[in-house]
Amino acid sequence: MKITVDGRELSINPNARNLLEALREVGIEIPNLCYLSEVSVYGACRMCLVEVDGQIVTSCTTKPYEGMKVKINTPEIHRMRKTILELILASHNRDCTTCDKNGSCKLQKYAEDFGIREIRFQPMKKENGVDKSSPIVRDSSKCILCGDCVRVCEEVQGVGVIDFAKRGHETKVTTAFDTPLGETECVFCGQCVAYCPTGALSVRDDLDKLMEALEEGKMVVGMIAPAVRTAIQEVFGIRDEVAMAERLVAFLKMMGFSKVFDVSFGADLVAYEEAHEFHERLKKRERLPQFTSCCPAWVKFVEHNYPHLLPNLSTVKSPQQALGTVIKKVYSKKIGVSEDQIFLVSFMPCTAKKFEAQREEHRGIVDLVLTTRELVQLVKMSRVDLNTVVPQPFDRPYGISSQAGLGFGRSGGVFACVLEVLREEVGVVEEEYSTPMDGVRYANISLRDGTKFRGAIVYGLGKVRELMRHLEDFDIVEVMACNFGCVGGGGQPYPNDTKTRQFRAQILRSTMGIKTLVSPNENYYLVKLYEEDLRDEEARHHLIHTNYKPRRRYPEKDVELLPVPGDSKKTVKVCLGTSCYTKGSYTLLKKLIDHVKESDVEGRVEVLGTFCLENCGKSPNVLVDGKLLSEATFEKVLKELGEDV
Amino acid sequence: MERTLEKVEEVLKRYGYKRENLIKILLEIQEHYRYLPEEVINYVGVAMGIPPSKIYGVVTFYAQFSLKPKGKYTIMVCDGTACHMAGSQEVLKGIEEEIGLKPGEVTKDLMFSLDQVGCLGACALAPVMVINNEVYGNLTREKVKEILKGIKEKEREMANA
Repeated sequence: MKITVDGRELSINPNARNLLEALREVGIEIPNLCYLSEVSVYGACRMCLVEVDGQIVTSCTTKPYEGMKVKINTPEIHRMRKTILELILASHNRDCTTCDKNGSCKLQKYAEDFGIREIRFQPMKKENGVDKSSPIVRDSSKCILCGDCVRVCEEVQGVGVIDFAKRGHETKVTTAFDTPLGETECVFCGQCVAYCPTGALSVRDDLDKLMEALEEGKMVVGMIAPAVRTAIQEVFGIRDEVAMAERLVAFLKMMGFSKVFDVSFGADLVAYEEAHEFHERLKKRERLPQFTSCCPAWVKFVEHNYPHLLPNLSTVKSPQQALGTVIKKVYSKKIGVSEDQIFLVSFMPCTAKKFEAQREEHRGIVDLVLTTRELVQLVKMSRVDLNTVVPQPFDRPYGISSQAGLGFGRSGGVFACVLEVLREEVGVVEEEYSTPMDGVRYANISLRDGTKFRGAIVYGLGKVRELMRHLEDFDIVEVMACNFGCVGGGGQPYPNDTKTRQFRAQILRSTMGIKTLVSPNENYYLVKLYEEDLRDEEARHHLIHTNYKPRRRYPEKDVELLPVPGDSKKTVKVCLGTSCYTKGSYTLLKKLIDHVKESDVEGRVEVLGTFCLENCGKSPNVLVDGKLLSEATFEKVLKELGEDV
Repeated sequence: MERTLEKVEEVLKRYGYKRENLIKILLEIQEHYRYLPEEVINYVGVAMGIPPSKIYGVVTFYAQFSLKPKGKYTIMVCDGTACHMAGSQEVLKGIEEEIGLKPGEVTKDLMFSLDQVGCLGACALAPVMVINNEVYGNLTREKVKEILKGIKEKEREMANA
């Protein structure tokens, strides 16, 4: 398709989503603040104005057509864009020097590009409520209401924990009832942070805690996740570096780290264990499909939304927690240092890993999780030039890994690594892959022992919701919450868009390519670990397996259906959470209320509704005076209430 | 306060749990409770498969919806230009003296709630207030007190009977 842009004839892609994308493909980037290729078009910021056949239109909402005459540089357009920027800046908290996005903020960049030196409008201060209740920090005073986070959360991740509230100048992006993010069903994937064009969304900065530990003289041990090495180079102008992790090892040693291990070793360990778990389940045909469990955002997503499928999650810990446990519980003994003297820091591309490390069952293992961006900060602070640092290998024994283990950093990596183990131990006769849509891959595998299985590899939690409708088609499902897997994690540097993520995946591929070991089975130190410390099944389970629990989607608040004042009463709480609701808890509730009202126990029995008793596998659930009745029926509840009732 | 979700279920069923009926559903539910309790919004979210953040967005967008309890008698005092000039502040004082409410508040027994609003379109009767769709005009501080006393008296009789 031919169009004219500022008098030049250009050939553009006729199937481009809109004019903005069409021009982007031929190297012309129209300024925009609310446009994302990954989600629906919003058309709110008006920065992408262009003139089409004499008319000013937004290029993100305009379809290109043959012979279209486009002007992208007229004094009028420049004037309008400057005005828009001034209007946005007038109500924006401009504490740029102390902002997390200083230097990588799109708004700041445009203010500079368009030479905004003065703002004609009266500054309007927005409510300055900073929500620091979770690894994701929200500052509404810096929000420009582009809605990118809202659409990414709902459309890409299928979570929808934030949305616009109120109206006019009071409009803000917030959770339901302004609940702090840490108390909601947010999975902390950080994709909102990845796409926020300003500093309204950022990740909690925990670098001070590292400094404290170093100062206290603890033995500081680091471990680096696969995806970190692919992204950190972008910031320092290094390209296609396959020895990046080794440069980081050398750098961290300069910073005072005693040992630096590779999380890819943890990945080998996890895949090895998970492959055995899967093969067992496959033979017994139980708890299938098996879900991978290395992605903490995905795990939390299941806990909130599909609690009845928790048994399907692999019970193997994530590489971070598995390796962490080995370091704290096994390694410490070997080197004769008490585990509380070791300060374990993991470098992750991920915001949800900060949450994972703080989960009750994982306390005391990983002491600090730092994102790639925090690592960037550390490098910048230190004034060390990574280009000149001589690469140094990871420390033994947890420093070597297979290609497959390193592959955990991108979508498909966990599946591939599990398959490598099965290939070694059982043998793979046939494998066949198909890609029904972007972000979803299917696999059909035949093993030498005659078993066949079907796998699904998905990224983006929104797509998982669709997959959940035909789960019976699969035996194993790999899920990574973020698009393209960990390379696109919420803790990665900006920009963190599709193009950048694909590039990182490619670097990871090259880095895997130079590894000599193919499967975890060839990892000498892994084999040794199993022989020396994980031989006993019980010990192994205790060390590298974990458990999950249903989580409520809303903060605790009961619905007072039939309250009774005072203390001398029996209290019946009926769960109205998603799982129980679909299993008919409301009908049960109604029956109870009617019964209480009609019988002579009115005033002695109180009936309340509650949201999630966190036992969704056996819904509907009812709590009678604190005692949990699972798979409750009307009769069961009456029996529990006792004879006098 | 005793609540049943029966009404909520009935409304949801009638509208087929459909997303496009959300506003109608919320309006009917609000009529029942006189406001939209947080737990009820969560309940509706669960039942309809809509994230509560979205429903919260809708509820806070339209002035019609309230997240705070309203009284059995909702009082709206007009503070448009005409009423303001004619003494709407006196009306508010009368209300405060009689039932102790400031705009935006509700009495503990959930009998009365008070809102100050823009023009009600009855400027000829300024100052004006509306109680549950009934318009009272040409008000003074004393008249307002009489009206409220009357309502309280009526409620007492009903309670005794």
